Amino acid sequence: MTTYVESTVRFPYKRSLGPVIGQFMTGLTEARLLGIRADDRVIVPPVEWDPETGEQLAHEFVEVGPAGTVRSWCWVEKPTTQHPLDRPFAFALIELDGASTGFLHAVDAGRREAMTTGMRVVPRWRTERRGHITDVEAFVPGDQPLPVERAEPAGEPVTMMTYDAEVHYLTPVTENETRVGQAAAEGRFLGLRCPRCARLYVGGKNDCPICAVALTPQDEVDLPQRGTITNYVIITPVQYPGQTETEPFARVHVLLDGVDVVLMFQPVVDLANDDVRPGVRVSAVWTPPDGTGRRALAGWRPTGEPDVDDPALVNRIH
Amino acid sequence: MSKNPCAIIGIGQTQHKSRRWDVSLGGLVREAASRALEDARLTWADVDAVVLGKAPDLFEGVMKPELYLTDALGAAGKPMFRVHTAGSVGGTTGIVAAHLVETGIHRTVLAVAYQKQSEGNAQFALGSGKGASLGAGGAFAPYMRSYIHRTGAPLDVGPMVAVKDRQNALKNPYAHLKLADISLEKVKASQMMWDPIRYLESCPSSDGACAVVLTDEAGGLAAAADGRPPAWVLASAVRSEPSSFPGRDAVWSAGAADCAADVYRQAGITRPREQIDCAELYVPFSWYEPMWLEAHHIVGHGEGWKLTERGDTALGGAFPVNMSGGVLSTNPIGASGLLRFAEAALQVRGMAGEHQVDGARVALAQAYGASAQYFSMWLVGSSPDPFA
Repeated sequence: MTTYVESTVRFPYKRSLGPVIGQFMTGLTEARLLGIRADDRVIVPPVEWDPETGEQLAHEFVEVGPAGTVRSWCWVEKPTTQHPLDRPFAFALIELDGASTGFLHAVDAGRREAMTTGMRVVPRWRTERRGHITDVEAFVPGDQPLPVERAEPAGEPVTMMTYDAEVHYLTPVTENETRVGQAAAEGRFLGLRCPRCARLYVGGKNDCPICAVALTPQDEVDLPQRGTITNYVIITPVQYPGQTETEPFARVHVLLDGVDVVLMFQPVVDLANDDVRPGVRVSAVWTPPDGTGRRALAGWRPTGEPDVDDPALVNRIH
Repeated sequence: MSKNPCAIIGIGQTQHKSRRWDVSLGGLVREAASRALEDARLTWADVDAVVLGKAPDLFEGVMKPELYLTDALGAAGKPMFRVHTAGSVGGTTGIVAAHLVETGIHRTVLAVAYQKQSEGNAQFALGSGKGASLGAGGAFAPYMRSYIHRTGAPLDVGPMVAVKDRQNALKNPYAHLKLADISLEKVKASQMMWDPIRYLESCPSSDGACAVVLTDEAGGLAAAADGRPPAWVLASAVRSEPSSFPGRDAVWSAGAADCAADVYRQAGITRPREQIDCAELYVPFSWYEPMWLEAHHIVGHGEGWKLTERGDTALGGAFPVNMSGGVLSTNPIGASGLLRFAEAALQVRGMAGEHQVDGARVALAQAYGASAQYFSMWLVGSSPDPFA
């Protein structure tokens, strides 16, 4: 049975809007929907370049809507946190009155049966508008514009927006990775030795990258827990959303005793940044068992033995 | 294996800055592409296909940017290719475009590469969205330490590269960093970021784009007849290797050596240091100048730092490197490779302005990416057969 690891990546991206989408977003703060003229068409939202010829469009903005006609739609039965509404709704291509193109937005119709192609809809504006597509909370069935609670317009043109992106990953874990993970939970390093070339790998590889031979549980080897630092880096952390570090921190390469395996970019324990250097003897430190009895590698601690005096150690990176 | 000649007749780039918030993402690539078309005296309708390169989508959070940027690049109804080979992508983008011409599939191809670093955060993206990102400098620091150890290079060589490239950037109107008062002392006094790399030995984060118009032999000859010298693609190659495997040498890597050997073989080059007039190498951290000179066998192992130390790699030196100011002065990551490739072409066209190498006839460009594991190189000449 395949198991999975779940992870989520989030980031508040910025968007510089440029002269055309910026104008559209500024219009939203004023509860106005703008398109741009391209020959005999009006494109909504406005675009900077003619989609057919690639030529730059003159900045001739046209107010459209507010009512429009649904030209196509699909029902969203189970909205996610990233959807515009927290209840079932439709994504629809809405041809706003005066526009030549479909405008993608949400229709808050209550139930699927209320949706039909060709139905008329009008925007439901938010009271607080900031120059974002969600300034229109949703479109609703109807032909008559809803009264708009006019908030103060932005005053200045909208030039930037933020875009909170979130991606949820389900990553399959292979059998070898699972077994290596289980060994680590017991405080053991499991290696895999290629049955053909006898090279030794860490990290639950599935194949020998040199021989392209599958590695199986029969190839497992228990690795020693002592080794020598060969190379290192002291990282000065740059702050970003999700950064966990605030002070310079060390990552070291550890060559395990008696085998040809270098563990790259390992954390250290009880070793000051100024004392990190090639040749330092270290041993693995495991966290105490958690509630389920599982351990994890905390890092590498100096053993107190004399340094290994081998000038070529620094070249052992892989 | 025969191939059709390929000529570079148009080059454009944006003004590179920390934040190009005056334009949209589309406006950024458009600025470079419009300048390239203007340089080539062509219109959007003359372009048969577009090749687009950029670094990972996590940088700006735009998935499938080749679709998003179709209108901006006049590519509706045309073949549009996305290239992605990490930091080397700009170079590979140029090579894919050249292949489309060399194979006769298209007559005229627009290659565009960009990055708008200000919309996201490179350390975040390089750390796959997790904490404790190593950053590129952190990932490469052990390689640089190993290089210094094995060659015995004096520790001033890195700072010398940092000064030289920033001085070159002062001559390049498009460059991002303009550090008029740069000096060895200032570089050495700047904060140690990822030992042995200091702040001023590191590349900036830039917003920018680069575009190149490539066309067939007839198009190249027509430009030449019109008094607009083209650059001819003499050779190109890409190589990659796994980020980590037993016995991998990440300093003088097999991938780098193979890539260079392929380029030299295609062009008939046997003495690269003498037969090539100048090079644009992807040097985001100072020590990579001597490292790439050696890894790509422009000079022998252990000889690269001597070139730098003697001043040979300075503009006006015996073998100028990074005349444009390089990645150390301008780094819109996805575009950085194509900027190297474009600068090499500018040089052999004699159009590099204040940073022109006198009489440059053959120029080499290189880009690398990820864990120094993707390589792309091209060699361009002022004539299709400069060694005849």
